[in-house]
Amino acid sequence: MATTADKPKIAEIPTGIKVDPVTLDIIEGALKSARYEMDAVLFRSAMSPVIREQHDEFPMLTDPRGRMVVGQFGAYITEMMEGWDRGVYPGDVILTSDPFKCSGSISHTNDWLVLVPIFYKDELIGWASQFGHQMDCGGPLPGSLPTGAKTIYEEGLIIPPIKVVEKGEIQHDVLNLILNNMRIPEMNRADLFAIVAGCRAGEKRVIGLCERFGKETYLAALQQLLDRTHEAMKTLIQFAIPEQPQYFEDYIDDDGLGNGPFKMKLTIWREGDHAFFDWTGTDPQALGPINFYLSEGMFKMFIGIYLIMVNDPQILFNDGFYPLLHIVLPEGSLVRPRFPSALGCRTHALARMFDVLGGALLKQAPELNAASGYGTSPYMLYSGWNTKGDFFYSMEILYGGIPGRPVGDGMDGHSWWPLFENIPTEYLEAYYPMRIDSYTTVIDTGGAGFNRGGNGVEKRYIYLEPGEVSIHDDRWLTRPWGVLGGEPGERSKKLLVRTDGTTEKLPSKCDNVHVEPGDMLVYQTAGGGGWKDRLVREPERVVRDVKFGLVSREKATSGYGVIFKGDTLEVDAAATAAERARQSEVRGPVENFSYGPPLEELLANCLAETGLQPPKKATQLRWSPLQDGAEALALVRAKDNLPDPAAK
Amino acid sequence: MAYRLGVDVGGTFTDLYLVSDDGKRFRVKTPSTPADPSQAVLTGVKRICSEAGITVADLDNFMHGTTVATNAVLESKGARVGLLTTLGFKQILHLARSQTPGPLAGWLIMIKPDPPALLSDTAEIVERMDARGNTITAVDTAKAEASIRALVEDGVETLTIGFINSYISSKHEEEVAEIIERMYPGFPVTLSSHVLPEFREYERTLTACMNSYVRPKVQSYVDHLSSELKALGATCEINILRSDAGLMTAREAGRNPIYGVLSGPSGGVAGALYVSTRAGFPNILTFDMGGTSTDVALCQDGAPSIGRETSISHFRLRVPAVDVHTVGAGGGSIAHVPELTKALRVGPESAGAVPGPAAYGRGGTLPAVTDANVVVGHLPSSLIGGEMTLDVAAAHAAVKTIDDAMNLGSTENAAEGMLAIVNENMAGALRVVSVQRGHDPRDFALVAYGGAGPLHANAVAEIIGSFPVLIPPAPGLLCALGDLVADFRDEFARTYIRVIEEADSTEVATILDGLGARAKKWLDDEGIGQDVGRVTYNADMRYHGQGYEIPVAITPDEVRNKGLGDLDERFNQLHEQLYGFRMPKTRAEIVNLRAVGFGSVEKPELPEGVDGGSADSSHAIASDHTMIHKGQRIAAKIYDRAKLVPGNVVPGPAVVTEFDSTTVILPGYSAKVDKFFNLLINKA
Repeated sequence: MATTADKPKIAEIPTGIKVDPVTLDIIEGALKSARYEMDAVLFRSAMSPVIREQHDEFPMLTDPRGRMVVGQFGAYITEMMEGWDRGVYPGDVILTSDPFKCSGSISHTNDWLVLVPIFYKDELIGWASQFGHQMDCGGPLPGSLPTGAKTIYEEGLIIPPIKVVEKGEIQHDVLNLILNNMRIPEMNRADLFAIVAGCRAGEKRVIGLCERFGKETYLAALQQLLDRTHEAMKTLIQFAIPEQPQYFEDYIDDDGLGNGPFKMKLTIWREGDHAFFDWTGTDPQALGPINFYLSEGMFKMFIGIYLIMVNDPQILFNDGFYPLLHIVLPEGSLVRPRFPSALGCRTHALARMFDVLGGALLKQAPELNAASGYGTSPYMLYSGWNTKGDFFYSMEILYGGIPGRPVGDGMDGHSWWPLFENIPTEYLEAYYPMRIDSYTTVIDTGGAGFNRGGNGVEKRYIYLEPGEVSIHDDRWLTRPWGVLGGEPGERSKKLLVRTDGTTEKLPSKCDNVHVEPGDMLVYQTAGGGGWKDRLVREPERVVRDVKFGLVSREKATSGYGVIFKGDTLEVDAAATAAERARQSEVRGPVENFSYGPPLEELLANCLAETGLQPPKKATQLRWSPLQDGAEALALVRAKDNLPDPAAK
Repeated sequence: MAYRLGVDVGGTFTDLYLVSDDGKRFRVKTPSTPADPSQAVLTGVKRICSEAGITVADLDNFMHGTTVATNAVLESKGARVGLLTTLGFKQILHLARSQTPGPLAGWLIMIKPDPPALLSDTAEIVERMDARGNTITAVDTAKAEASIRALVEDGVETLTIGFINSYISSKHEEEVAEIIERMYPGFPVTLSSHVLPEFREYERTLTACMNSYVRPKVQSYVDHLSSELKALGATCEINILRSDAGLMTAREAGRNPIYGVLSGPSGGVAGALYVSTRAGFPNILTFDMGGTSTDVALCQDGAPSIGRETSISHFRLRVPAVDVHTVGAGGGSIAHVPELTKALRVGPESAGAVPGPAAYGRGGTLPAVTDANVVVGHLPSSLIGGEMTLDVAAAHAAVKTIDDAMNLGSTENAAEGMLAIVNENMAGALRVVSVQRGHDPRDFALVAYGGAGPLHANAVAEIIGSFPVLIPPAPGLLCALGDLVADFRDEFARTYIRVIEEADSTEVATILDGLGARAKKWLDDEGIGQDVGRVTYNADMRYHGQGYEIPVAITPDEVRNKGLGDLDERFNQLHEQLYGFRMPKTRAEIVNLRAVGFGSVEKPELPEGVDGGSADSSHAIASDHTMIHKGQRIAAKIYDRAKLVPGNVVPGPAVVTEFDSTTVILPGYSAKVDKFFNLLINKA
C-alpha cells in the first residue's frame, strides 16, 4: 500500500539565484532541442501512420511543480496528480487516455498520454510527457471514433491514470489487460513504447542540464524562463486585445446524428493586463461525438502562439503567461461537455475554434487575418477481412483548401495543422486492399479573392476487398468564409459509385458503409475562403491558375471578372475592366466577412443542393444543462482573483 | 610519375591540391568565379601545374567537387522540365506531401516554391501498374505521343517520367521513354524508376524532376570543362564527387547529376575522415563552420553515415548523401536582442560577404560572431600569412551594442555571451547527428575545419565531451583533399516489401546477386579493376507498419546458407541501439535490398614527420597575447603553426595561426602535434 511516505521529494525552486542571461539563453536553447529530440525519437520508432506520417503527437517538459517549460500544450500535471496515491518513483511511467481526468489535455480516448517523472539524485525535478494518437483503442468500431457514439463508453477503452511501468518494471498484467482490448495490440504496444522512448529522451536531457549547470541553477532558470514569457506576453496582450468586448461566431454543420448546426461563439476583452476569452453563447453540448473538451491550458497556448508568432517567434512557449489569460467555458457547452459525453470526433470543433479565435482576435483589423479554410480533419477509415482471413484497417486524414492569406494564395490541398503529411498512394496500395484512382485538387473550389483560397482535394478510392468505410468531415453545409471581398470556399461532398454505376451521396459523417470490390468512393474536401477583393487580383495570376487547371475559364470571369480574347488565354484588358466595374457595381461595397448565403437559406435548400437531409435543431440534453455564462464568468473571476470592475 | 589533382569549388575560393606519387604536394587557392565556375578551375589548373613544373598532360586523375547542381537548385536556374505522370496524378508535385510548417498557424506565413516541373508542363499518360507490378491499364501509345509532342513543341528542355508503382516495375516508364526516343532521338529523359527505384511516389518523382532540372546545366559545365582541359592538353578523365562522398565519372554526372547535389559538404567529410583515420581516430564528428552556415556529420569505423534523404532549398530529395546536418549559423551570424524578451539571439541573419563582420572594415556595424572572437582575443588583429588585418575598434563598437541592450557589465562579457550562445547551437547540431541517432558524442573525436571551425572547436568539445579535437594542417584544403581520396561509388537497389517470415531466403539471395551483378558490371564499365572494386549489400528494414527504415548489412551468401534469422536479429539489435527498445513479438520487415559498388582509388601520401620530438614548442611562439576568459583577462601566446613539429605540445591558453586558419586552445587544454602535423587538443 502506498503511504504518504511515497510522495516524492519535490525539488524547491530556489528564489535567491539570479541566473546570468547567457546561461538562461543556453538552457532555453537546450530545452527547445530536447523537445525536438522527443519528437524525432517518437517519429522514427512509432508504427501508427497517424503519429509517424501525420505527426499527431505532442511533447512537453515541466518544472517540478508540473508547469510546462517547453512544449505545445498546457500543463495538466498538477490537476492530474491531485489525489494520486500510488507514489511516484524513478523509473515510473504513468499512462492515461481519459480526457475527463486530465483537464482535457487529451481530447479523445485515442490519445494516449504518458508521464515520466524526472528525478535528479533523490528529488523530483520535473516531468517529461508526450501523447500520441493511437490508430485504434478498442470499442465497437475500428478506429474507436464512431460517428454515432452518444457516450464516451462507445469510444474504446478509457484508461484512467495508471502506472504501466513502476520503478522500471513493466506492469505486465495491466498492460495485457489494456492490449487485450485493442484490435491491433502490437501497434498499440509499439506506439506506447515509442512515446515512452520519446519521454526518456527528454528526461536524459534534463538530467544532463542539471549535471552541467547544477540543479539549483537549472531550476532557477526555469522560473526565469516562465517569468520572461510572462513579461513578454503582458506587452503583447496590451497591444493585441482591445478593452471593448468583440466576438466572432461560426458553425459546425452537424453532430453525425442529424442534429445541427452547432454554434461556437467567442468573446474577448481586456481588463488592464488581463485578457478574457469567453465562450458564452456557444451551443449546448451535442448528443453526437463532436464535443470538444477544451483544455484551458491548451487554449491559452493556442492564443499565445497566435500572439507570439508575429513578434519574437523565438520566444519559448511555456506556462509563464497563463496567469494573464482567463478562459470562460460554460459547463454543458460544446467546448466544456460533461462526463460521459462522446468526444471522438472533436477535430471539427478544434479546427472551428481556430477560425473563431482568429476572427475574434483580428476583427478590428481583418486585413491582418487570413480567411477560413477547409476547417476540420477529414478522415477516411476502411476495414475488413481479406481473402486470407486477415484483418485489415486503414485510416487516413485528408486535407483541403488553405485560406487566402496576407502573404499570398492559400495552398491547394494542404494541411492546416502543422507538419501533417498525406500518405503516399504507393504506401496505401502496398499495404491495404485499395487502389487510388486519382488524387488531385478540385478546380474552382477555392474562394475567389485578391489572394485566392486553396482548392479542396478529391481522392478516389477503389476498394478491392469487401469491408466497411467510415467518413468524418464537415463544411458540407456552411462554407469557409472569405474576408474583405474574398468569396467563401466551396463545400465538401462524398459520392459512392458502385460497380454497376449506381451512385449514392454519403453524409459527411457516417460509419458502416459497406463496400464491395470495385466500389469507388469520391471524397471531396472543402476549399478555402478568399482574401480581399477578388476583382483586383492581377489578371496574370488568374491566367496562370487557368493554365494550371486550378481555376476554370468560366470562374475566371464569374469570380475575377477576367475576359479572354476568344478561345485564347490572352486577357482582353478593356472588356475585363468593364466586367469588373459591372460586378463591383452589382456587389456594392466589400464586407469584412463573407459567409455565403445565410443559414436559413442553406437549411432550406439543403436537400436540393447537397442531396442530403438538413440537420435538425438539437434538443437540450436532460443530463447536462447549460451553465449560465454570467455564472461561469463569475466563477472564473473568483478563482483567478479578478473582481468585476463594474461591481466597484 | 603519376600526378593526381583534387579541385574543390567553394562559394568564395576554389582550392586545388596536387599530389604526386613521390610525395610532392602543391596547393593553390584562387577566387571562385560564380558566373562560370570553370574559369577559376582552369586558372588554378594552369597555376598549379606551373608551380609543380609539369604540363596539364601530366595529370593522371582529376577529382572534382562542384556546386553547379546545388546552385542551380538554390538559385532556381534549372532547365524547363516536362513531367509525365499516371492518369489521375497530374498534381503530384503541386500537392506534394500537403505539409505546412510548424508551429501552429505556420501555414499563415508559408511560402511555397514552384516545383521543378510546372503544372502547365505536366501531362497525364493513360497507364496503370498495380502494387505487385501487374499492368492494370497498358500504355496508350497514341495519346502518349500527342502529350509528348505538345510538351516538347511548347519548349520543355527535358522530360521526366514518374508513374505510380514504377518502383516495382519500370516497364511502363521504359515504354514511354522508348516512345520519346523514337519521336525525338537523343532528347534528355529521366525515369523515376532509374533514378530512385524506391517507393513513395512524390519523393521519387520530385527527385527525378530535380535530376532533369539540373541536368542540362551540369552536362554543359562538365562538357565545357572537359573540352577546355583537353585544349590545355589534358588526357585524364574528370571525376565528380557525389553527395555520398563517392566518385562518379563525368558521363554519369551528366546523366544523373542529382547524385552530386551535395558534392561540396561531402568532400569535406571525406577529407576529414581520411586525415583522422590515419591519425588513429576512425570515429569522428566533423565540424565545418563557415561564414553563414555550419555542417556537421558523424563517421563511424572510418565510414561516413549515409542518409537516404537530403534537403536542399525547400525540397526533400531522396538521394544517398552523407548525413550532414546544417545549421544556419557561422562566423558571420549576427547577434541581436529582441525588444520583447531582452534575450540574446545569434542568427539566423548573417553579415554575409558584404559588408561582412564589423572587424572586416568594409562598413559592417552589426555585431557578428567574428567580432566577438576579435573582442575576446581568439582572432588576433593581424594573422600570420593572412591577407588582411582586422579592425579591432570596429569589432568592439559592434559588440558593445549588445552590452548596451542587455547590461552585461562589459563589451567583453557580451562577446563571451555571444560565443557561448553560438557554441551551444553548434553543440546542439552535433547532438542531432550523434545523440539523436543513438551515439554517445564522448566516443568520437571532433575534426574541425572551415573558416571558423578551429576557432570554436575546443569550446564546443567542452560542451559535448568529444575529444581529442583534431585540427588538420591546412584545414581549408580538406575539401580538395576529400575529392582526392574518395572512392568510386554507386548504388543498385530494389524495393522488396516482405515481413521476414514471408520472405524467401533463396529469393532474397537471388535478388541480391542480381543487384550485385549490376554493381560489378558498373565497376567493369567504369574500368575499375577487380583488385580495387568491391560490392557490399544491405537491406532497409523496419518493424512491420513502421515508416522509417534502418539499413542492415547483409550478404547473399549469408542469406543463402543461414537463412534470414541473423538479419532479423541484427535489425532488432540496431533498433534497440537507436531507440532504446526492441519488439520481439513484432515482425520485422524488409523494404529495400541494395548493392553498393565501390572502386577504391589510390590514396595520396600525407606529410608525415617523425614521432617523438620534443614537447617544447617555444620556438614557434610568435608573440605574447591576451585573451578574455570567463570575465578575466589572461595571458596567452600566439604560435606560428608552420614552425610546429611532431611531438611539440602547445599549452592553452594559446592561439595557433597559419595561412588560412586560426586555432584556439583554451586554458586547461593543450594541443599535441602528431606525426601527421595534426593538432590534437585534449584536457591538459
